[in-house]
Amino acid sequence: MGIPKITPIKSQLVNPNKIEDFPGPYCMSFGFDIRPLAQSIDRVGLVNCPLLIENKNAELTVIVGYRRIHALKTLGWDRIPCGVLSEFEVSPLECLLLNLYDNLATRKLNEVEKGMVLNRLHSQVPRKEILEVYMPLLELPSNEPTLLFFIKLEQELDTEIKEYLVQKKISLQTAKMLLKMESDERSHVFNFMSSIKFNINQQKQFIDNIIDLAVIENKPTHELLNEPSLKAILVNKHSNNPQKAQAILKLLRGRRFPSLVKAEKAFKKKVSSLDLPKSASIHAPPYFEEPHYRLEVLFREGKELKETINRLTLTEDLDDLGDPWEKDV
Amino acid sequence: MSNFTIKKVLVEEGARKRAFTDEVLSKLPGIPVQHVKGITSATVSDELDMGKDTLHLLSYKGEFLKPCPGTREYICCGYQILNVATNCPINCSYCILQSYFNQPNLRVFANLDEKIDQVLKEIDSKPECIFRVGTGEFTDSLAIDSITCWSDLLIPRFSERKNAVLELKTKTTQIDRLVAGKYRDRIIVSWSLNSPYISAHEEHKAASLKKRLEAARQCQSEGFVLGFHFDPLIPHPHWKDEYLRTIELMDKYIDPKGIIWISLGSLRFMPGLKPIIRRRHPGSCVLDGEFITGLDGKMRYFKPIRIALYRFMRENLEKWHQNLGLYLCMESDDVWQKSLGWSPKNTIGLSSYLDRRVVEIFG
Repeated sequence: MGIPKITPIKSQLVNPNKIEDFPGPYCMSFGFDIRPLAQSIDRVGLVNCPLLIENKNAELTVIVGYRRIHALKTLGWDRIPCGVLSEFEVSPLECLLLNLYDNLATRKLNEVEKGMVLNRLHSQVPRKEILEVYMPLLELPSNEPTLLFFIKLEQELDTEIKEYLVQKKISLQTAKMLLKMESDERSHVFNFMSSIKFNINQQKQFIDNIIDLAVIENKPTHELLNEPSLKAILVNKHSNNPQKAQAILKLLRGRRFPSLVKAEKAFKKKVSSLDLPKSASIHAPPYFEEPHYRLEVLFREGKELKETINRLTLTEDLDDLGDPWEKDV
Repeated sequence: MSNFTIKKVLVEEGARKRAFTDEVLSKLPGIPVQHVKGITSATVSDELDMGKDTLHLLSYKGEFLKPCPGTREYICCGYQILNVATNCPINCSYCILQSYFNQPNLRVFANLDEKIDQVLKEIDSKPECIFRVGTGEFTDSLAIDSITCWSDLLIPRFSERKNAVLELKTKTTQIDRLVAGKYRDRIIVSWSLNSPYISAHEEHKAASLKKRLEAARQCQSEGFVLGFHFDPLIPHPHWKDEYLRTIELMDKYIDPKGIIWISLGSLRFMPGLKPIIRRRHPGSCVLDGEFITGLDGKMRYFKPIRIALYRFMRENLEKWHQNLGLYLCMESDDVWQKSLGWSPKNTIGLSSYLDRRVVEIFG
């Protein structure tokens, strides 16, 4: 590998307009905020020079320092000190590794950038080497499914979804779920989700339910998402986004789990009809799976507890409390 | 011969120069054989087919006899698994093996003949216990029996033991070696059954229900004790009519007095199986039900749905015959009570119940 040879390269002043404006094949920067770097350069100057590669047509591509060049352009520098290598001196893989190690030495890559790295390495490095060397370097588990997921993430996700991922507006799990969809379906679901701003847990529930319902009801997701019942929630001017998110999830859950939701409602209705003392409450176990219900009593002293218990024993209809589906089974 | 096509054989180092391996290879003339050190990317078939046409012979390092991996939250039958192979050539959409094992191919343990004595020694060391042993938990017991000849190895050895029974569980009609043999005692031949709809749409490459029951009738007429397993029961459109049709077919082909037990279980799976089913079986209806997270972390139907399934099956099976040894697989005490009208309370109770069935049938 020729990388050690390039370290003594002297810098030269380059017109920033001659440097290609896009990240090119070696840079792996995505979703960054240029302002802190621009402020730093403005305050103390450029500490490390970017490194460029020049092809036979005298076109300059960034190997290292894409963000710095971007910041310098923002600051209006008309000459940038850069190291310039000829394409005959270093191979594309060496350029890629120069960028990777330079980045890893100074910062952590985000998930999209990890996908960029693996996708690029994928075409140039044996898979075994990627799994054994580069995935641990990126702090990723060294297994095939993870590798394939990150490559797919880079290749298939739209820029907007990638931005949401980097900004942590969607989780990696949500990205995984979106990746399992066809492109059109993904775009519909993502647009709907981003209009409502579901939190991370809600995103999973939403995607799970919408996919299940699409399969069960044999309807495309966009048809489901355009149904009047959902549209009505979206355009409701009296609700804010969190309220809309909850209403949508409730609607979908009722449709996906009709028996469970019916049982929950019946149980709630029964409990509220019992005229329990205010300090006592009765709760069903999650999904009614455990056989026992739970009675909760709040009290400050024994006398108060005793009074509540006495009142409970006199509560009418308590004998009828039981599994809310008994009549239906 | 087996109805299942083997397109490739992989032989791991530990399986080479074994009589079993030579025997298997002699039954697969013309099939390409590759000698491998272990699982590599070259030995892994396409994820979607899971290597169901690749026979992978290896030496198994673990315990061959293991208790059924039940969970303490639900009542388990206390079955012992004789681990002869993992994965299965049948391609049921609901199969938990799709996510249970992280290695593909039909992995057959070539050192079973060497290890079986150790298993039998363990059984013989506890004459007071009844060992209900089966090979059908991690694979189909008979699907590739014409290639592996497991029945030749196992049946005589289990047949002569008074504190064990061997259950061979299948969805196939591969009974030739069984009926050709002379042993019947303490051998249970069992079929997994489902509704005609589920069998036709979700149990790919399995024999039709009618053929399974014809094979069961042949085994019964040859003197074998039968078992049946309705697991997984799956609610689907018209499921009551559909399961009734299966019971009617059973009535047509089988004498219920020769049945040792019928288990009922509803679909349950680790959450990781769901995306695999979606990917491998896009038209499947098995994920349509109302699944909740059970006490063991597995997805299972909402309780009243399970109770309705079991209650319906019990009522209709008992109309056919009262003494079928019905039991529930991995259910809670309250579900037992509400669907079967009694409960063994715990795993020990269910084990005792099934042991008593063994004594009643085999003495």
